Amino acid sequence: MSGSEPQVGHEAGDELEGRSFTGQSVRRFEDRRILTGEAEYIHDVTPPNCLEMALVRSVHAHADIVDVDTSAAEDHPDCECVLTIDDIEESYNPQPCGLEGYEEWSLADGKARFVGEPIAVVVAADRYLAEDMADLVDVTYETLDPVVDGMAAREAETLVHEDAGSNVADNERISFGDPDAAFADADHVVEGTYEWGRVSGVPLETAGVVARYDEDGDSFHIDCNIQLHTLVDDTVYETLGRPADRVELNVPADVGGSFGTKIAIHRYCNLAAMAAEQLGQPVKFVEDRIENLQGGDMHCSERTYEMRLACDDDGTMRGLDVWFVDDFGAWPHYPVNQVLKPLSVLTNAYAIDDVVYEYDLVLTNKTAQTAYRGFGVDPHQYALEMLVDDAARELGVDPTEFRRRNLVTPDQLPYRLPSGNVYDSGDYPGAMDRMDEILDENERCEGGLLDPAAVEQRREEGYYRGTQTAVLIEPGVSGSDWTDRQRTDDEALANRSRDDVAELPEHLRAEVQPDGTVLAWLATDSAGQGHQTLVAQLLADELGLLPSDIEVDYLDSVEAPTEYGSAASRMAVMLSGASVGVGEQLRERLAELAADHWAVEREAVDYRDGRVERGGTDDALSLADLAALDDEGRTRVSYDYEHPATGLPEFDDALTSKYPVYPTAAYAVNAPIVEVDVETGEVEVLKFYTLRDCGTMLNPMIVEGQAHGGIAQGVGAALMEEFGYDQDTGQPQAITMFDYLLPSTKNMPDIEMEHTVHPSPFTETGAKGVGEGGMIDAPAAIACSINDALEPLGVTADRLPFTAHRARKRLREAEE
Amino acid sequence: MSIEDTPHSGERPTREVAVTVNGEAVTREVEPRLKLSDFLRNECGCRGVRVGCEHGVCGACTVSLDGDIVKSCLLYAVQAEDRDVETVEGLAEDGKLHPVQEAFHEEHALQCGFCTSGFVMATKSLLEENPDPDREEIKEGLADNICRCTGYQNIYRAVDRAADKLAADLEPVRDDGEEGA
Ligand code: FES
Ligand code: FES
Repeated sequence: MSGSEPQVGHEAGDELEGRSFTGQSVRRFEDRRILTGEAEYIHDVTPPNCLEMALVRSVHAHADIVDVDTSAAEDHPDCECVLTIDDIEESYNPQPCGLEGYEEWSLADGKARFVGEPIAVVVAADRYLAEDMADLVDVTYETLDPVVDGMAAREAETLVHEDAGSNVADNERISFGDPDAAFADADHVVEGTYEWGRVSGVPLETAGVVARYDEDGDSFHIDCNIQLHTLVDDTVYETLGRPADRVELNVPADVGGSFGTKIAIHRYCNLAAMAAEQLGQPVKFVEDRIENLQGGDMHCSERTYEMRLACDDDGTMRGLDVWFVDDFGAWPHYPVNQVLKPLSVLTNAYAIDDVVYEYDLVLTNKTAQTAYRGFGVDPHQYALEMLVDDAARELGVDPTEFRRRNLVTPDQLPYRLPSGNVYDSGDYPGAMDRMDEILDENERCEGGLLDPAAVEQRREEGYYRGTQTAVLIEPGVSGSDWTDRQRTDDEALANRSRDDVAELPEHLRAEVQPDGTVLAWLATDSAGQGHQTLVAQLLADELGLLPSDIEVDYLDSVEAPTEYGSAASRMAVMLSGASVGVGEQLRERLAELAADHWAVEREAVDYRDGRVERGGTDDALSLADLAALDDEGRTRVSYDYEHPATGLPEFDDALTSKYPVYPTAAYAVNAPIVEVDVETGEVEVLKFYTLRDCGTMLNPMIVEGQAHGGIAQGVGAALMEEFGYDQDTGQPQAITMFDYLLPSTKNMPDIEMEHTVHPSPFTETGAKGVGEGGMIDAPAAIACSINDALEPLGVTADRLPFTAHRARKRLREAEE
Repeated sequence: MSIEDTPHSGERPTREVAVTVNGEAVTREVEPRLKLSDFLRNECGCRGVRVGCEHGVCGACTVSLDGDIVKSCLLYAVQAEDRDVETVEGLAEDGKLHPVQEAFHEEHALQCGFCTSGFVMATKSLLEENPDPDREEIKEGLADNICRCTGYQNIYRAVDRAADKLAADLEPVRDDGEEGA
C-alpha cells in the first residue's frame, strides 16, 4: 500500500532514460516559489496608490432596509468613498443569476436577505481605516421573520423573494424506465430520510480582488482569485455594463485553494471595480474569515433526502426513487445545476434501470450556495448508500453481499445509466474483493483493528468499531452544455437535436523561446492542483524535452477564449488531450520550418528528441535554431481540444437532453475503520483504507495528494463541519474557525491507499478525472462504517455531520 | 458619490517599533493596532506570512519570535519590539532551500501552498525541540496548523524526511544513498 511506500519522485530536470514523464511522480515546479514565500497570491497584489475596501453588512437575516445613513462616514477625512445601492443602480446592472427571474444587485436592494449581505461599500487608504469608516455607516432595519429551514421553506408564508411567489425556485421530476411498475412489482420497498449538513470547501485563502479602471479605454483590469475566470466572467462584465473584452479578469498563478467555492465571488469583483471606477484609483478587497464564513456566497449543499428502494426477496435492486430538497440560501447563484449532477451517477455502481429523480431547490435567508468539490454528488452517494444499508437490514441480508449482488459487472462496461451517462471502465466487484483481502490481511486478524476479539473487548468497554465497504463512483470531466438545462425552456429541450449541443474545448498555447525552451499558456486557472507541472510533463513527452525545458504561464479572461476550466475533475483529461494536440502541431510546424530552410520536401525531415533532423545527413536544427529562423510566428501554436464526449455516440442521448455528461468514472472502495464512544458519542476514524482507480495516473504523486485532501474534507463533512443557523433568528452559528471545524492532524487518521488501473477508453491518455474523489466517497463510507459499528444498537448515521451531540441523541433515542 | 480627495486626519497615535526580521533590523513608525502579521507582510516585505483567519486558528501566519513559534495575527507589531522574528523568507541560504523546505517539496507536502509557510515554520520548531518525533508527536506538534489540501499525510512524511536530512547534516559521514543533505 502506498501509505507505507511513498512514490519515488523525480525533479523536473531529471532524465528518465527513455521512459516517458507522463505517469511519473515529477515533483512540482510550483513548490519553490511557495516554499520561499515568493509566490504571489491575491493578498500580495498591491499596485501603487491602491486603496482598500470594507463592506457594511447586514446584521439581520431578513429585514427591510429603511435607511442607510452614510453622512458620518462621508464627512470623515479618512473616507475616500461610500457606495450604496442608489449609487450602483444608477450606473451599473444587476448581477447575472443562476436562474431566470431573479434580479440581484451587488448590494442589498432595500431588503437584506441574509446575515452578512453587503449593504454599503466604504473605501479608505487601508483596511484598518476602511473598517473604521464602515463602522460609521448607520443602517436602520425593520426586521422580518426569517426563513431558515429548507423543508419548511417550501410551505412558508414568508417569502425570501416576494416577486417569485414561492421559496421553491426550481423543481424537476424526471423519470427513467418504468419506476411505477418496478415499485409495484417488487417484494419490498424500503424508505429512509437522510440529511446532509450545510458544508463548504473553506479554502485557507479567502476571496480577494484588486480592481483597476482605465479611463481612456473605459476598461477594467481585475486581479482576483475567482475560479473559472473565462467561464463566469459574464457575472462581472455584464454587471459592470461593459463588453467582455473591456473587463480583464486575471487570476494569479497561485490561489490558496478553491474547491469550487471561489466560482461565485463576483460580488466582490463588481464592488471593487465600481469603487475603482468612481475613484480612479486601484481598489483592493480581501475578505476576512468571518465575512467568508457568514456572508461569502460560498456555502454548498444542504439537503434532506427521502429515498426509496424497491428490491426483491433474492436481494435484487429493482427501482430507485430519489427526492430531495436543497437549501440554496438567499439567491440561486450559478451553479444551480449541482442539483442535477447526481444524474451522472444516478444509481452509483448498482445496475438499476427504473428510477425517478425529483428535487426542490429552495431559497432561505442564508448566504448563497456555490460549488464545492463533488458538486452535489457527495450527498447523493451518501443518501443512496445509507438507503442500501437500511434495505440490507430490512431484508436481513449482509450489506456487503447485498451490494456485491447488484454491482455493474466488468462485462457490462461501458455501462449506460438510465439517465444517459456512461461509465467507462473498471472492475467494481474485483475492487470489493481486493478490499476484503486487504482487510483480512491487515486488520481482521490477530493484532488488527478488526480482530474479532479486540472488537468484542472494545465493545465491552463502550467503544463500538466497524467498517463497511462500497464502490463509490466519481463522475469526471463534465461537459458544459448541460449546465444551463435549468435555464432552457421545456419546448426547446424537447426539440433539441445532437447538432444543438455546444461544448467548450480546452485551449492551450505554446511557443518556442529564443533559448530553445518552450513557453506554454494555460487558459484555465489553478488553485494548487499542479497544472504547470502536469502540462510540462505532458509536453515534454510530446516534444522530446525535459519538463524543466517547459515553462507554463496563464492567460487572462480576455486573452483566453471562453472555456470551462478547472472544475468537475476535468483537467487531467482535458489537458492531456490539449497537450497531445499542441505537441502534434508544434512538431509539424517546426518540421515544415526546417524543410523550408533546407529547401527540401517536408518528408525529408523528421522531428526527433527536441530537434529536426534531415534524413540521410547529419544536419539538424535545435529548437533554438528554429526559433532564430522563425520570423513569421511559425514556432507558435494553439490548440483547442474538444470535449471527449462530443465524439462518442454513446453520449448522444444525454447530450441531446441536456443531462449531465461525465465520460470518466473513477471509483474507490473505502474501508474507514471507525470507533464510536457510545458514552460521549464521539466518532474516531482509526485508519482509512482506500482502493482507488482513476485510470492512467499522469502523476501518481499528484493523484494521491488529491485523494488525501478529498478524504480529509470528507472526514470533515461526515463528522465535524456544518454551517448551523439559529432556527428562530436566522443568525449563523459558524462564523469563525472555532465554530466551523476543519479537520486538523488530530482528526485525520493515517490513510492507506492502493491503486488499480483500468484506463479510460474515452480519453487521450486513459486518464480519468480525479479531483473530487475523496470528498465524494469518504462521507458515504464513514457513514456506512458508523452504521456497521452501531448495528448492535440499531443506530445509523442518518444525518451528517454525525457529531458527538447527534450521536448521543440517536443513541438515547434507540435506548427508549 | 465619491468625496473630495482629503488629506488623512493623521490624528491616530503611532509608535516607533524596532524589530529584527530575518537578521535585519527594521524600524518603523506604526499604529499600535497594527497586527504583527500585517507589519511583516506590508512593512518588511515578508509576504510569505499568510493570513487565513486572523483569529489564531489556521496557523498560516506562524512565525518564530525569539525562537518560539507564534501566530503573528494574534500579536501587534509593537509587541515584537526589540525581538527577533524569523519567517519563511529567512530559511534558504544562498538560494539553497532549508532541509525542511526541501522535504516539503520532495514529499509533495503542499498543494495550494497557503498553509505552507506556517507548516514549514512549525515543523522547523518541532524538529528543533524533538529531532526524531514519532507519528503521534508529529500530529501533536502540528495540531495548531490547518491544511485544507493535503489531508496531512504527505506533511507527516515530509517531517520524517526533514528529520532525516537534519540528522544527516549533523553526521556528515552518514551516507544512505538518498537525497544527499
Ligand atoms: S491567520 Fe493567524 S492563525 Fe490564521
Ligand atoms: S496546501 Fe492548501 S492549505 Fe495546505
